[in-house]
Amino acid sequence: MIVAPGPGFALAREEDERAAPRTRIAVRGLTKRFNASGREFVAVDDVSFEVKQGEFVALLGPSGCGKSTILNMVAGLLPRSGGHILIDEETVETGKVNPRVGYVFQRDTLFPWRTVEQNIGYGLEIARLSKTERAERVASAVEKAGLSGFAQSFPRMLSGGMRQRVALMRTLILEPEILLMDEPFGALDTHTKLEMHKTLLEIWERERQTVLFVTHDLGEALTLASRIILLSARPGRLKEDFDVAIPRPRDPVGVRETAEFGRLYSHIWHSLGEELRRTKAD
Amino acid sequence: MSNSRTAVLFWQLAILVLVLVVWQWGFEWSRALLPKAYVPKILDPYFVAKPSLIWQSFLRLGCFADSAGFAACISGNDNNLWVATLVTLKNTWWGFLFGSASGIAVGLLLGRSDFLARVFGPYVVALNSIPRIALVPLVILIFGLGDLSKIATAWLVVFFVVFFNTFEGTRAVDRDQIAAARLLGASEFTVLRTVVVPSALAWVFASLLPAVSFALIGVIVGEFIGAERGLGKLIIEAEARANASEMMVAIFVMMFVGILLAIAVRSLQSYLLRWQPQFEASA
Repeated sequence: MIVAPGPGFALAREEDERAAPRTRIAVRGLTKRFNASGREFVAVDDVSFEVKQGEFVALLGPSGCGKSTILNMVAGLLPRSGGHILIDEETVETGKVNPRVGYVFQRDTLFPWRTVEQNIGYGLEIARLSKTERAERVASAVEKAGLSGFAQSFPRMLSGGMRQRVALMRTLILEPEILLMDEPFGALDTHTKLEMHKTLLEIWERERQTVLFVTHDLGEALTLASRIILLSARPGRLKEDFDVAIPRPRDPVGVRETAEFGRLYSHIWHSLGEELRRTKAD
Repeated sequence: MSNSRTAVLFWQLAILVLVLVVWQWGFEWSRALLPKAYVPKILDPYFVAKPSLIWQSFLRLGCFADSAGFAACISGNDNNLWVATLVTLKNTWWGFLFGSASGIAVGLLLGRSDFLARVFGPYVVALNSIPRIALVPLVILIFGLGDLSKIATAWLVVFFVVFFNTFEGTRAVDRDQIAAARLLGASEFTVLRTVVVPSALAWVFASLLPAVSFALIGVIVGEFIGAERGLGKLIIEAEARANASEMMVAIFVMMFVGILLAIAVRSLQSYLLRWQPQFEASA
């Protein structure tokens, strides 16, 4: 599947980008089977999709549909049972970390023995950046996340929303071009969630990373994403693919009052409802 | 708050004074006042000494009140209280240090490797089933009557305690935290250094406090069975002369040695684990 770049490749790529954005993530025929107490079941069944440069794609589906499993395979955290995943035309190897890819967990995975500052600077520390440069970049990340005054605090002194901000910054400070997010705001209350949406929209509308965002929350997907991929109930299959044509910059509250939001919401809601009924029937 | 603290302090002092008074004069008073059958034999100073006698023994053994002078007294007895305490403290410290260092190292190794854990698992269980004290005569046979056999005994006692806790702590490390570290670019060794070790540290420290006491026990038992110097040796000699007050002196000194070591470990713990809520105040 890997095409060796010929002469003039870089130039061609630049022109491509102007014409049509290049594909950053390509998932083809992806399948995942699990063994649960001797019985095999299919979690992800023949899923194919692409994410282009600068797209914000939400992977939406009922719980248990395998959307996190897909994300973890894209991140190389989980081996796949079949199919291909390419990031920038290179096959993803399980266990191998791609420095261009950042990952944000749903669960709190901050290091509780490190202060906010030390957590955010972790990746830079590993990259052996000089102390002064590290301090500079950490300080600006702390400010960007609205955590000024908490730099020296330990995570347990922070609220859930603040902790997730730290986690987001810990990933973003390494300036990943591709961002994989596994229901990062799933554990937060509605109000905190809205604030996190605001923060994420601000950052993304400025920096335009390529994002693959897993969620089961339709409102969240419509607020953030430029495209929504809807998965069926287990086994996860591709059901529908929607463009979210709500203009940017978006405001997480105002966006809900646009006509496009309402139209897509009711349309996808029906589609999602069918899947929820199927889950119940099982 | 301060009121209840004063009350606690008051009762603590009251109990101390009561115990000392009963210990010092209880036997005489009860013998004078009660029929012989009602006098508890256990209070007889022959068995339990009494505070004034213990104090005198302390001054004598420590060469604080010797007609020949401090220096002459010290050089006249090569297991005087000073030497005995220093020897026991030194052996406890080294035994504790080697025991916990090797326990942590092996615990991390087996904790991080499923293969090694499965290979060595049964051996660890078998070795751990041996009462360590049963090995002391063997250790003395191998390492002789000197300090080495005491350090080895303390090591034996400390190693398994620290090993088991480190192993469990390493196993309990949050897998997602490890994944997060990897995704942020950490190598296997960096994960060990920056995630596994700090995360397992709480478990390690939970074992270090008892390990200090165990090290002291190991050294003293070693000294009981065969030694040239040390507080355990002092007790065995005093027993031979049926001198309860000298034994009590050694016991009290051990108590202070134990407290000092525990305070040292405790303060290191509250510094290294200052991110945990229970140590917040001392950070």
